[in-house]
Amino acid sequence: MIRIINSTRPWPGGRPGPARRPPLPFGPVVFAALVAAWWLASVLELAPPFLLPAPDVVFATARDLALDGTLFRHLQVSLLRIAAGFLGATAIALPLAVAFGLWPAFARSLDPLVEFLRHVPPLALIPLLILWLGIGEAQKLAVIILAAFFPIFLNAGTGIAQCDPKLVEVGRVCGLGRAAIVRRIVLPAALPAILVGLRLGFGYSWRALVGAELIAASSGLGYMIVNAENLARTDIVIVGILAIGLLGVALDRVGRILARRMAPWIRSELDLGRA
Amino acid sequence: MLEVAGLRKVYDVAGRTVAALDGVTLALPGGSFTAVVGRSGCGKTTLLRLLAGLEDPTGGAIRRSSDRGEPIGVVFQEPRLMPWLTVNDNVALGVAGRLEERAAAERVGSALALVGLGAFAAARPDQLSGGMAQRVAVARALAIGAEIVLMDEPFGALDAFTRRTLQRELVEIWRAKRPTILFVTHDVEEAALLAERVLVMEAGRLIDDVAVDRPHPRSPIDPALLAVRERVLAAVTGAPEPVLA
Ligand SMILES: Nc1ncnc2c1ncn2[C@@H]1O[C@H](COP(=O)(O)OP(=O)(O)OP(=O)(O)O)[C@@H](O)[C@H]1O
Ligand SMILES: [Mg+2]
Repeated sequence: MIRIINSTRPWPGGRPGPARRPPLPFGPVVFAALVAAWWLASVLELAPPFLLPAPDVVFATARDLALDGTLFRHLQVSLLRIAAGFLGATAIALPLAVAFGLWPAFARSLDPLVEFLRHVPPLALIPLLILWLGIGEAQKLAVIILAAFFPIFLNAGTGIAQCDPKLVEVGRVCGLGRAAIVRRIVLPAALPAILVGLRLGFGYSWRALVGAELIAASSGLGYMIVNAENLARTDIVIVGILAIGLLGVALDRVGRILARRMAPWIRSELDLGRA
Repeated sequence: MLEVAGLRKVYDVAGRTVAALDGVTLALPGGSFTAVVGRSGCGKTTLLRLLAGLEDPTGGAIRRSSDRGEPIGVVFQEPRLMPWLTVNDNVALGVAGRLEERAAAERVGSALALVGLGAFAAARPDQLSGGMAQRVAVARALAIGAEIVLMDEPFGALDAFTRRTLQRELVEIWRAKRPTILFVTHDVEEAALLAERVLVMEAGRLIDDVAVDRPHPRSPIDPALLAVRERVLAAVTGAPEPVLA
């Protein structure tokens, strides 16, 4: 006989499910432990303070650099370069990806060139760029564009190629023209992949920029670091590194929030990529 | 009026040519409701795709009495909704750019009301059940305002309850607005229940044409409908296997 029991009690004899514990904040703990180790190492003078200044020294330096405007001046320069380069890369890569998707013959003829360039790291091109463009802004811009171009271009291309032809057919039976289908169906369908590319591209270009500023620049966070190295100011070097890392994390956060705003239909199954 | 004469479509499948449509001739009078039935692979979807202009025929001709380039409404077997658009905007896709804003909004609103989803205009497709999504697809096809609506097994993936509801809604819509409907299904009972006329297809050809002269609303156990069903099943079972041309 089957009895229907209307009850919220757990199944007799059944095991209770695992209690939901809030996850431990391991991330901050690890970070704090690292700072503690650093502090301990400098108190015990495991390394000469000239090589590893104490956390409080670095903090004081950071405060000084922030207060006298040095940090923000370099930060601003780097951010402006990134903004310009990243926008430039996007403005080139996205239309090109659309063109590749629309005209396969065009794609086939440019494909070998793209493949070749894809395998040359932008930093390896810096000497050539310096010879051609000097050490000014044009060279920095070129490095950023080269670094950001491929992730944006390739991901957008994949997204466009993978647009469901069934959805395109819907556009056709709805009487949409070719341009309208691209704008209203193909691009939105590719948006998740495009966002992944933008996020990757941003990470790449941020790193490439700092690299370029290390090699040849008179301003920017990378320059601040290499200049401090020449002055043997390890504390400033560390401040620079911290600023670069923290800023990267912060900008990536902002990017992710913007992505979720733009594409609320994307569920968490796609983590929008990682740089 | 939609007319088709000697329509042929040949595909290459694994090095062999398959005649998916092998000389189909038919006429759909304005305001008629015609069902096409036949076993899997007999060419139903192919016929519909050619009529919708999604593919070009290998031979034969398609003619519309009033060809001013109006689009044809199509409901696919799957809802095919754009996940990034709300229900409202999905339905609006059909009128995009062809109506001025006010008229378009009105058209979309009434199409949604017709399928009973007025309250879900702002929902996203992933917030709908399968049956609701299919109703949005029907609304999208209707919002186009097309005189001709082609439907490819639109209720095939639905449960019996939802299917019955949508069948009733479709008949109501047809009786109210009188579009010309071509309804592909492999469910013979569904064909007899809905259509005025059932075309039987086999191996790319039409092999029977059965009039269903019963008023709506119909009962699925109406003896006249059962007779239609028997006749169609006999025609299909008696037909030869699909041929390779
Ligand atoms: N794009 C295609 N390329 C090659 N062959 C095709 C293509 N589309 C259809 N066919 C062939 O045409 C024939 C008819 O296919 P169609 O999809 O029209 O059948 P159907 O009647 O709709 O079947 P079902 O009830 O299973 O949907 C099949 O033999 C199929 O293999
Ligand atoms: Mg089919």
